[in-house]
Amino acid sequence: MNDGLYLASRRRRLAATAVDAICVPTLTLLLVLMTGILEDAQDYVSNLWMVQLLGLAIASYLLLNGYGLWHRGQTLGKRAFGIAIVSQSTNVAGQGPAPFWKLVCVRALFFPLMFTLVVPTILILPLLDLVLIFFPARRCLHDFVAGTRVVRR
Amino acid sequence: MVRVFILVLSLCVAEVQANCDDVSSTPNFNRSYSEGWGITLSNTRYQSSSVLQAENVNRLKLKWAYGLHNTTPRAYPLVTGDTIFIGDSGLGVVALARDTGCQRWLYAHEGYIASALLHARVGARDLLIFNDRIAGVYALDASNGTLIWHTHLDDEPLPWYSGTPLIHGARLYVPIASQEVGLALNPFYGCCTTSGGMAALDLATGAKIWYRPTIEAPAQQTGDHWFFVQKYGPSGAPVWGAPSFDVTRNVLYYGTGQNYSHPTTDTSDALFAVHADSGEIIWQRQFTADDAYTAACNLMALNHPNCPKPTGPDVDFGAPTMLATTPSGRQLLIAGQKSAEVHALDPLNGELVWSRRIGRGGIIGGVHWGLAANEAQGLVFAPISDKSVLDFPSPGKASPGLYALDMESGEVRWHFTRDPRCAEVACEYGLSAAPLATNDIVITGSMDGYLEIYRASDGKRLWSFDAWRKFESINDQPAQGGAFDAHGPMVADDLLLVSSGYGYVGEQRQGNAFLVFEMAAEDE
Repeated sequence: MNDGLYLASRRRRLAATAVDAICVPTLTLLLVLMTGILEDAQDYVSNLWMVQLLGLAIASYLLLNGYGLWHRGQTLGKRAFGIAIVSQSTNVAGQGPAPFWKLVCVRALFFPLMFTLVVPTILILPLLDLVLIFFPARRCLHDFVAGTRVVRR
Repeated sequence: MVRVFILVLSLCVAEVQANCDDVSSTPNFNRSYSEGWGITLSNTRYQSSSVLQAENVNRLKLKWAYGLHNTTPRAYPLVTGDTIFIGDSGLGVVALARDTGCQRWLYAHEGYIASALLHARVGARDLLIFNDRIAGVYALDASNGTLIWHTHLDDEPLPWYSGTPLIHGARLYVPIASQEVGLALNPFYGCCTTSGGMAALDLATGAKIWYRPTIEAPAQQTGDHWFFVQKYGPSGAPVWGAPSFDVTRNVLYYGTGQNYSHPTTDTSDALFAVHADSGEIIWQRQFTADDAYTAACNLMALNHPNCPKPTGPDVDFGAPTMLATTPSGRQLLIAGQKSAEVHALDPLNGELVWSRRIGRGGIIGGVHWGLAANEAQGLVFAPISDKSVLDFPSPGKASPGLYALDMESGEVRWHFTRDPRCAEVACEYGLSAAPLATNDIVITGSMDGYLEIYRASDGKRLWSFDAWRKFESINDQPAQGGAFDAHGPMVADDLLLVSSGYGYVGEQRQGNAFLVFEMAAEDE
């Protein structure tokens, strides 16, 4: 698309995703350690610990990426590799990032899928998301659903 | 073509249903073939109501196979005059007509049914008792499968209902283990605060009468790891197996497992005798001191933060105790340990009469699930697993097989050493399941999928059945055989019943087959 914006390369996207996939769980585990939600026998009497763990994971994602996504359309990994998320309809270089709510409430919902790549029984789900990037538009399923694309900054 | 196919299919379904239409939905309880996990209340695992014997076991033939709805079956069937009750985890408790396998009723239950099924008579009602390993103890109306009561004990936050309860009089005695042995795998978990115990429930209502923990003192903080995670002790000493019961003295006997954390206690790897009325301890005797271990010790070369150090050998009394009377008339309390030792004690005071080591032992046994006895022949049958566990090796040479010990002295009268069928990990060839004795034979199931019958007097192998295959099932579930483990075989009259496919520990071959063998007529 010759609109002044250049699509991010697949390699940069992969590297950025790898950084995020390491940073978010690491912070989550640190928060688990500090809050002690998995520490006591009583925590396992109900399934509340699962909800708490999910809450800490969301908090970690927002702590690491919230500001960057809001202002620049960038997660930590995308900032490190010089790429950003913009709306599909954006066609002017320098225009602001995709709407924050879309990035967090729609696009980010796909983020946990990549961790299921190691679970053979549901491997099809992350593959469905990722396979579309090999088409010329270089948009994953989460890009289509959120109406975004990833470009060089 | 499609119409023809549908017509044929409809006829087939109609045929199957017609075969089962004659089945009464109400089981008959005029005869029951086991009082509990151990067949008798004393846990001898000797079935007196059986025609199977050395001279006719060659006529055993597979009668039908039932496809269970989960692999790793851990329920032990109950047989009555006309019904076989099975725990089919993932489906529920099922009452099957004894001769055809047709379903009388189903109690739908999603949890893991992990005990022998027990029959009790309360007033005019027949109850069926079973454990869900996590959710607790259930009592059903045995006539129709409706729930009467369900009890989940709250004395410990994370009880594991692994051992089969025991019924006597108006009470149900429930062994309690603890989930912490597995939770310790989580390095964010502060190991450990809970213990095992024994509970007495009212059989009619499920209400708790007493609870006796194996560790009375509350756990205290003993340190921390990773700056934040607090560690506690003492803990552990779970009761994994069904108790045995002395009817004349009104005493319960049971064994315990290892501690989960330091400091260790004198109640781990120990045997207990307690008053059935009150739960008061009459005596206790420890066999292995300072044995602290959790499942975390199988990871990270013992460097997992929840692996207690120093680390013990994990040699529980996982197998239920047995009260047996020798040919000379002496009563002994006999217990097999995962250390591959078998101990005989005076049940009055816990004094050791004899002790015999017959294998290498290890975290999967040694003696893992239970013993059997033939009191008339004065023999105790001890299956030895000696299974290899890569990340937690046991010292010494493995000697898996079946050992017949003289009940009076503990001397080995004979042993049958099994041979491996192949070199794969799944081919572990030891005996982990509890055996069963009847008449002049003893029946075992091996981890490599052989169901075998030996002559009790000399250990000659008389019959062998290889279950590592698919079976045509009588229900809509494909049946796959696998490892024999856990509760082992059951016998009733001319039937031999067993679940195949227990793959819970290590890489044993999983399956989902419940097999029923029958003695064929002589001229067949």
